[in-house]
Amino acid sequence: MPPAGIWIDGLIQSCIYMTMAFGMVLVFSILGILNWTHGQFYMLGAFVVYYAFTAVGIPFPVAMLIAGVVVGGLGMLVEKLIIERVNIPSAQGALYVTVATMALIFFFEGAASMLFGMQEKGLAMVFPGVLDLGSLSVSYQKIAVIIFTLIIMTAMYIMLNRTKVGLAIRAAAQEPDAARLYGISVKRTSLLVMGIGCALAAMAGSIMAPVYAINPFIGRIPMIMSLLAIIIGGLGSLTGAIVGGIILGFVNSVVAYRLSYFSEVVLFAFVIVLLLVRPQGLFGTPLK
Amino acid sequence: MPLLELCNVTKFFGKLAALENINLTVREGEVLGIVGPNGSGKSTMINVISGYYRPSRGTIVFNGKKISGMRPDRIARRGLARTFQSNVLFEGATVLESVMVGSYLQYRTNAWQSFFDTKTYRDEFEEVVGRVLDLLKTFELFNDTFLPAAGLSHGYQRMLGIVMALLANPTVLLLDEPTTGMNHEEAMFVVENIKKISAQGTTVILIEHNMRVLMDLVTRVVVLNFGNKIAEGTPEEVMNNQEVIEAYLGTEQL
Amino acid sequence: MRRIFDYKTLIPRWIAVLLAVPFIILPLFTTNLATLSMIILSGIWAIAAMGFTLILRTGQFSLGQAAFMAIGGYTSAILTVKLGWPFWPSFLLAGVVAGIIAMVIGSVVLRVGGVYFSIITLALGEVIRIVAMQWEPVTRGSRGLITGPPDPIPLGVFEINFAVSAVPYYYFMIVLVAVTGVIFWQIGRSRLGGTFFSIAANPILAEHQGIHLMKYRVIAFTIAGVFTGFAGSYYAHFLSTMTPYMLGLWESIQIMIMSIVGGVSSLVGGPLAGALVLYALGIYLSRLPVYGIQQLLFGTAVVAVLLFMPKGTGLVDLWDKFWRKVFREPEFYEIPSVE
Repeated sequence: MPPAGIWIDGLIQSCIYMTMAFGMVLVFSILGILNWTHGQFYMLGAFVVYYAFTAVGIPFPVAMLIAGVVVGGLGMLVEKLIIERVNIPSAQGALYVTVATMALIFFFEGAASMLFGMQEKGLAMVFPGVLDLGSLSVSYQKIAVIIFTLIIMTAMYIMLNRTKVGLAIRAAAQEPDAARLYGISVKRTSLLVMGIGCALAAMAGSIMAPVYAINPFIGRIPMIMSLLAIIIGGLGSLTGAIVGGIILGFVNSVVAYRLSYFSEVVLFAFVIVLLLVRPQGLFGTPLK
Repeated sequence: MPLLELCNVTKFFGKLAALENINLTVREGEVLGIVGPNGSGKSTMINVISGYYRPSRGTIVFNGKKISGMRPDRIARRGLARTFQSNVLFEGATVLESVMVGSYLQYRTNAWQSFFDTKTYRDEFEEVVGRVLDLLKTFELFNDTFLPAAGLSHGYQRMLGIVMALLANPTVLLLDEPTTGMNHEEAMFVVENIKKISAQGTTVILIEHNMRVLMDLVTRVVVLNFGNKIAEGTPEEVMNNQEVIEAYLGTEQL
Repeated sequence: MRRIFDYKTLIPRWIAVLLAVPFIILPLFTTNLATLSMIILSGIWAIAAMGFTLILRTGQFSLGQAAFMAIGGYTSAILTVKLGWPFWPSFLLAGVVAGIIAMVIGSVVLRVGGVYFSIITLALGEVIRIVAMQWEPVTRGSRGLITGPPDPIPLGVFEINFAVSAVPYYYFMIVLVAVTGVIFWQIGRSRLGGTFFSIAANPILAEHQGIHLMKYRVIAFTIAGVFTGFAGSYYAHFLSTMTPYMLGLWESIQIMIMSIVGGVSSLVGGPLAGALVLYALGIYLSRLPVYGIQQLLFGTAVVAVLLFMPKGTGLVDLWDKFWRKVFREPEFYEIPSVE
């Protein structure tokens, strides 16, 4: 039985992957695209929070919100200026979006390297101190991650199910043509969703910034993990993203503890078999 | 022995039976018409015969061999070709490119010979090109040879589809509503060509809505409704069948 | 009449030959290692990009081509370093092994299409990287293998010795690229290429015209695998090292980008253009004191191409358009008389 600390780490990773996967699948549901740049928004969120907090002295929660808004806005810009123009309706459209968002990975990593330097930055613990639970001590920072995720997921739930905006989003995602007939601007809703998705990634990056170090390349792994999470959960399924995120979080910590590198192999092998046998994942809708 | 035989063919989509216990024999050389209201299963029947779908129950026998469950390319190789109603084109290809890549079954030479451009291959290539261009001329597509196929009118796209099906050297030709989307002249032109194809010995199975076309062409008609065969016989017999009239009630004048 | 699959390339052959000349005579003017390396490496990536384009020709989008380079690289590295084999047979075997693995994997995985196939290739690439990292006894794990230069080739009284300078590497790369290019070019304009095209353009229609989809997908995937394996093997021996970090997902992405920027309509010229421009340009830029500008511009270049070029076209198509204007050739032929 792995030590409790590993389980906590697993929980933390689940929270982050869940949040990012949720953002990614939200964008996929309404725009039909996989945004490979998603991880870069995570990284940018971490940097924004770093500078806001250390250089300008903005209190951390506010800095997080700023990161969400700024990076969310950036995401909307990317969607408007690039993705929309590249995503032509034929099968080629998906190809070009993939290439574009992959190219943007390099763009943002390069930009971050230029702007912020390659040096790893550490953000001092925003919530210093540790909670002692008998044999286990958990840093408040990590607790903050868990609380953050709970807040965010609740907020998402409320937004999607109880607000008009959420209704518009769900309508546009499921039946865009019908939604248009009801006066919902699918274009604007899509843009908003992109902003929300990217903001989620940014805030995930922000809350994790004090836990691990910050450098221009920290977005790579979260992106792959959230991608795998939504594949396992099923492309297009919000529940699936959450479940996938949880699975991945624990595989990457608890299972990795036992099996070390082999856990990665198992994970990828599982994904391969899944895609061959049941491509729609756990919760997705079957195709053809 | 019938050329093509469907025995108790049933096809389920989920719980819905698109085809239910279809029994059908097709004799060599005949022109068989398949009619029925929308949703009666006509296209499903062609899809099942051509191998696009696998029948949920029942068997299909072609020339003595069971083809139900075979891959479409193997069925095509056995001499059964079809046209499509939608999704007829190779994306981005010109007319000539379409028929050249579609004439796959015309060749005896293998991929190595084509790669090394051997004399045998080149000779065969010339022959095939000749046949292809002749077919294009027959179907009035010759003038559009180098134009993108997607730029053709719908009627001519369908004719391109017929050309490609013919290039598969079929013994049996399945035509999925060949004249739909064509104006009267085009439709009559297609009818003339189908008659010629039939005269050359090819067996033709034809889904059609257009009764005038049908009457002119077919010797026998099968009527489907809700996945079941409800009538079979000569066009006159079928037209006077009470059940058939009821099935069509209000939709078309027979 | 040979023009049927060929008529798009109206550019006279001699222009292509003319373009190649500067590359062939370059070593006479400079033996600067950096310059030559840049071109050698561009050539290697170009071969990998050609493989990607070929697979794309059948409608599949592989994000794992760098893994096949790794397979090739490790095969020849292990054979030369651990088993003491001479270079040339190891090199050949690298391609064969990569091809066989491609064939086996392809037969299973090519049934799936679209984004799912891409993810599977991505996952497979990662699995191969992890295996390379962990299979200590064979691959020496993350320390990697130190490879030696190719064996000298005796040529009459002379001997082409790879150990002394980069020039022999350069010329062998030219030979490799030329051979691969000619083969791929011929595939493209042959019936095989047309068949590939039909599978991508409309698989259902192609299948009903008698084309066995899986067979041709696997063929393309295998051919790509073989040559990508060769490229990988040469890569390992040129850099004198083979580690699991060299060829991963990000390299697969680079290969894909080179192919697409170069232009997917062209099997040979496209990848060559894409690799040269992006890699060589990238190297020049990385010499600037600002770190990160290489990636920034790489990303920008790609996005710019996607935004401003007509869809489906790349650098090669610009080139094509230019020559059409020069020769005033129409976009499409008038109907030739049947010969």
